[in-house]
Parts: sequence; C-alpha cells; structure tokens
Amino acid sequence: MQCAAFFRVEGVLVPRVAMSGAPVYLALNAQRIAERVLRLGNVMAAVPWLAQGPLHDTTTATRIVFMGLRGMSEDRLVELGRQYAETQLVPRLRPGCVELLREAARHGRRPVLLSDGIDVVVGPLADHLGVGDVLCNALEMQDGLATGRLREPVVSAALAVERVRQWADRHGVELSASAAYVARLDDQLLAAAVGEPCVVCPDRALRRLARDLDWPVLEA
Amino acid sequence: MDERTRRASRPLPVAETFDGAHVLITGVTGFLGKVWLAFALERLPRIGRISVLVRGQRGRSAVRRLVEVLGRSPALRPCRARWGSRLLDEVGRRLHVLDGDVGQPLCGLDRFAARAAMRDVDLVLHFAGLTDFEPDPRLGLETNVLGALHVADLASLARRPRLLHVSTAFVAGCADGRVPERLEVGRAPSGAQFDPRSELEALRALCRQIEGVRDRIAAANARAAALGWPNLYTYTKGLAEHLLATSGSIPLAIVRPAVVESAWRFPFTGWNEGINTSGPLVWLLSTWFRGLPSVPAHRFDVVPVDAVAAACTLVAAALLRDEPEATGVFHVGTSDRNPLTFGRAIDLTALAVRRMHGRADADPIDRWLVRFLDAVPRPADREPPLSLAAMRRLARAVRDATRPSGLRRWLPPALDGRLGTTIEAHARRLSNRARAIDRTLGRVEELLRLYRPFIHDHDWVFETDRWRALEARLDGEERPTFGSDLERLDWRRYWLEVHVPGLERWCLPLLRGERIPQDEPPWTAETERAVVERLDAPRARAAEGNARGESSRIEVEEASA
Repeated sequence: MQCAAFFRVEGVLVPRVAMSGAPVYLALNAQRIAERVLRLGNVMAAVPWLAQGPLHDTTTATRIVFMGLRGMSEDRLVELGRQYAETQLVPRLRPGCVELLREAARHGRRPVLLSDGIDVVVGPLADHLGVGDVLCNALEMQDGLATGRLREPVVSAALAVERVRQWADRHGVELSASAAYVARLDDQLLAAAVGEPCVVCPDRALRRLARDLDWPVLEA
Repeated sequence: MDERTRRASRPLPVAETFDGAHVLITGVTGFLGKVWLAFALERLPRIGRISVLVRGQRGRSAVRRLVEVLGRSPALRPCRARWGSRLLDEVGRRLHVLDGDVGQPLCGLDRFAARAAMRDVDLVLHFAGLTDFEPDPRLGLETNVLGALHVADLASLARRPRLLHVSTAFVAGCADGRVPERLEVGRAPSGAQFDPRSELEALRALCRQIEGVRDRIAAANARAAALGWPNLYTYTKGLAEHLLATSGSIPLAIVRPAVVESAWRFPFTGWNEGINTSGPLVWLLSTWFRGLPSVPAHRFDVVPVDAVAAACTLVAAALLRDEPEATGVFHVGTSDRNPLTFGRAIDLTALAVRRMHGRADADPIDRWLVRFLDAVPRPADREPPLSLAAMRRLARAVRDATRPSGLRRWLPPALDGRLGTTIEAHARRLSNRARAIDRTLGRVEELLRLYRPFIHDHDWVFETDRWRALEARLDGEERPTFGSDLERLDWRRYWLEVHVPGLERWCLPLLRGERIPQDEPPWTAETERAVVERLDAPRARAAEGNARGESSRIEVEEASA
C-alpha cells in the first residue's frame, strides 16, 4: 500500500484570504462591465453561510459562491484562474509549508493538494508545485460555458474527508499511514482519519482541539 | 468494393511522389508561398527541382529577391538551421529562378524561354495573388484574374501540364451555410448565371474607361455585389476560378484556404507575415474600442498557414499521380471539423490583450485601464452611445474650434497681446491631435466596413471532405508530416500562446508604422553578392543577346543546364 500527504491549500500552503479572493477576482473580470457587478453580488450572497453563525454551512456557501460564475466561458475562467494563481497565490506560498510538501515527497509520500477552490485556480498552483494529484471542485461546463453548478461530489470542509477516502480507495493509499496538514476546525474529520495529522497556523478552535488530541502544531 | 472506394482507401505516399519531380511555384515572396517553399525544402528531400517565378522589384533582380528570402526571411529558419551557410549551395542545386511577372502574358517570358523553362515541369503551384480586400481594380484584374490565366497558359506548355491554383474559400460570396467543395462554372454566388468571359471583358472595359481609382473601385464593387461577391478580392479570385475552369485544357486543382493565419508548428510556432485578416481586428480590440459588430454564433474560419502548406502538398501529390480525385475544389479550413465562433474569438482576443497590456513595460493607461475593458460582440445595427460617427464629429468639432487663427479672433486685444502666442501653440497641438484622432477613427470605420461581410453578415461552413479524404490516405509515418491534425487544435492555446503573440511580433508593429526585423543571413555580404551575380549572369547574358538581336533560347537553355 502507498501512503500520501494531504495538504489543505487554504490556510496551509497559502493564507486563507488569498484563496477566498479567487471567486471575487473571477467575478470582477467578467467580459461585460455590467455583469461584473451582478456576479460580484451573487458571490457575496454566500457570506451568511460562510460566517460563523446559525447559517454556517461551507458546502452551501461553496455552491452559492460559484453560482456567480454561471455563463462565464471556460476560456475566460481558465485564463483568469491562471492569472490569479500566478499573481496572488504563488507569491504568497508559505516557504515552510512548501518545504514540508517537498519533504513528504522525498520520504515517499504522494503529495495531494486539497481545496474548496476550483480546478482553474488550484490546477496552475499544483503545476507550479509539481504536484500531480489535486482534490478540488470543478465547474460544470456546457458548450464552453459554466452552468454555475459544481461537479459532484463537491469538496468543502465538511465533505473533504469523504472525497479523500474515495480517492485513497481508488489509488490504493493507506490513510492510516498517511499524513494530513490542515488549518481549520472544519478539517478535524480529515485530521482524525489519517495516521499523522498535523495542524498548521490553526484557527483558535482547531488549536484547542489539537492540544487536547496531542496533534503537532506548526507555525508557518 | 467499387473502384471509387478502392481508390479512396489507397495509400498516398507523398514524399515518394515528389521523388525527382520538377515543380514551378509563383508567389514565393508572399506569406503562404514562402512557407510552402520552406516546407518543400525541409519535408520533400527528394524533390527534383523547384523553379520559382519571381518578379524583379524596385531595382532588385528576381535572384536577389529570392536570395533575400532564403537568407533573411524567418520562414526559412528551419532550412538555415539545417544547412547554415551551405544553404545557398544546397538549395542552389535544386532551385531555378525565373524572372517573370504573372501580370504579363506567359508571365513575362518570351515563348522560347517559356517553352524551355516549362519543358520538364511536372506541376505548377500558383500562390501569387493580391489579398487586399479593396484594391485598385486594375491591380486586382492584372494579378488575380489575368495572373491566374497567364500562369495557366504557362503551365500548358509543359509536357505533362498540371496546375494547382490557390484561391480563397470566401469566393462562396453571399451564399451562406454549408459550402460544398464544388465549382459550378457560370453560376455566381448570388445564384445568377453569368458568362465568365463576358464578365472579364466588362471588368477590362471598366478598368480601361474609368480614370479615377475611387470611381473604378465603386464601379467594380457594384459588379461584384450584383453577382454576390462581397468585395473585389473575392470577386477577382472567384472570376479567376470560373475562367480557369472554363478553359479546362489542363488538369486543375483549386485549393481554397479560409483565413490563413499564424503557423501552429512550421516553420516555427507563431510565424506570421504582413497584415493578414485578424491582425487589424486584434489591433482594434487592443485599443479603447470595445463593441465589435459581429454575430457571436457565426464561425470564424481560421486555419494555420502550415496546415495550408501541408494541404497544398497533399493535393499536389495527388495531382502528380494523375488521380481523378485530385482535380476540382479543395477547401482548407476548420469550420466543419473544429469550429471557432466569433464570440469565442473575441473573448480569447480580450484575454490575450490582457496578457499583452499586463506586462511591466506596457503603457500605464493600457496596463491599468484598457486591459480591463474587454471587447464584446455587438449587433451592427445597434450603435453604442458614443458611436464612431459621433466620436468623429466630436474630433472634427474640436479640430475646427481649436484652429489657431479661429481661436485668436475671439480673444480681447489685451489678452491676445499677452497670451496670444502661447494659446496659439496649445491650440495648434490640440487641433493636430484632434485631426490625428479623426484620421484613426476614419481608418477604423473603413476597416469595419470592409470586414463586415466576413465578421457579421455571413456564416459559412466550408466543407473539407475532399481534403480529409486525402489525409485519411496518409500512412502512419507521413501523417505527422503532411497531416494537419486540426481536430486536435486547442483554440485557447492557439489564440493565447501562438496566434496573438505571433501577431504581436510580426504584424502589429506594421500597423503602428514600425519595421519588422529580418534575420541575419548565415553568409557574408560578399558571398551573397557573388551568388547573386553568378545566378544573375545567364539572365544578363540573355538580355545582352536580345539587345544584339539574338534569340534568348540558347542562353536560357544554358541557364537551366
């Protein structure tokens, strides 16, 4: 059996705010100026579900965010995603975490990127890092245009562990011998599912949990 | 299996077919001609001889022009990389220069010289043509119509005459929809019957009788429109096809490429030359101009130049093998197998412009403002609030209002004495700027008028079944060399990484009035001069012989020996 090292992109490899800016960037660079405003409004409609409160549901928030990109061309999304990765994500990569990724590869662990973002943004980042395996969302396309729906199964904090299990089964990867680098409380299930969880720059709740469960905490 | 099916499944060994063949090409100094020459030298290593018909121009002999192409044109880079300074020797063995002009009967060669030159020619490839959308009809007639007929006359002098004539897919004119690979002689795109010879005579008369260029263009445009051709280019190319087919004396293949653009792979990725169809559009969309009159769902049939060169080679091979399938019309385009729409092309162009203006050395206004104003398609009848015409009116008003003499009239004498000169200088600058803007807007208006039939009014799907049938006969080894693989052309990659960067390097500088840098030849100026003199010597001797009243026949035979 193989083993892998799962790296959450948002919060571990790059600051969370850098990744969450991607849908806003895509919406603000739609082809027509008027549609930029409408799309931005649609993306921002997800805020109540993202905020910590009674509506908090990252899966719903992820779906609503990307509904704002409905009707944008695949060409535009791919090109803007590449631009965003090059200008906003690559310069903000945390060197310590990138070194962890390289070290995992050196020790025979298959590095895998995990993200709530979409493939057009995460793909170029993975290419930059030389990582071939990416678990992230993808927009459904029809006749070269985004339908606004995400391809199932959706990757969000709550559902990430399910995708990871499916991927591990498909690729013959032993999760109990694998590592996961996570940064937020939503990823606690994933951290619990692997043999070597590691918490990187965690939020307050995850830091407390890590202390209770004796998970190592790294500050990038 | 019937005869037709059996023939269709027979392999087409291209390189072997050209083994020892002698071909004559015209238009070798043009975009497609150059690429085909490089293609033939690189990929048909056993071709026997290539005669090139070149016109001496502006004091430069035909030989000098060809040597310049070989030494300096980026299209010949693969050949220079292969042979280096030995290129002239290697190629010189196979190349034979004919100093001629397609606009003249027998291409400007006397009958003896023409017979001698054509004696063992197996195939003529006629690439020469005038691609301006609205040229002086005299030039269009001379180059595109009579030029084709003269080349056909020349080809008919060969022992085994065969002619491959390069036309354009847009001879389909106003006949929208699927366009079959067929030529119905005497039927215009409008559906009207016409006599090609009478039409030629009418065009000749028009060119003879009307003195002013504008009037000639208007009259010729009216004739073209009556028959369903949207401009003089397609009219002259279409008329030439009908006339060639009418004569019917030699096996004739007509290759009709669509919009020939940047090379995908050969001679190198992104090579382009001159101001082709999409160059001005990309330039326009890289400015403040946003709403391009076009229909998003209409197809923009762009085809890389190397695919056209490969297609011409395939058709030429079939012609050389005297196959019945080799004659007739062949479309070379993408609209029926991997279509690109105008909506997508405009979106991709806007994205390419973002890359172009996003560089650190870009103009700050372009970088921080213009690149975010993505171009969009718009219906031609829906003018934006600030239309081109309105902007021109505004520019003219500013120009007139700021005429220095006019402005000073309104100044009180006291102010005029103190500030008159300064105000006059500023007014002159503003007036000149307004005049320049007016001129640029005029150019844009003209450009949109000329392009409208192709980007807005019509939607063509050029069938390419006959070309594809030839490609299907390539064996596995020759498929990468002579097949086009256009089904797998990724338009996004092509547009963003090949075509627009190619235009940026090879075309847009021309539109800004700058020069395109040529390559340095791999030989010294002395070597080049010596070669030109050596190759020019027979011609000079022949000219001298003519001056003494001798026949040039022997001299020409000596030249070709």
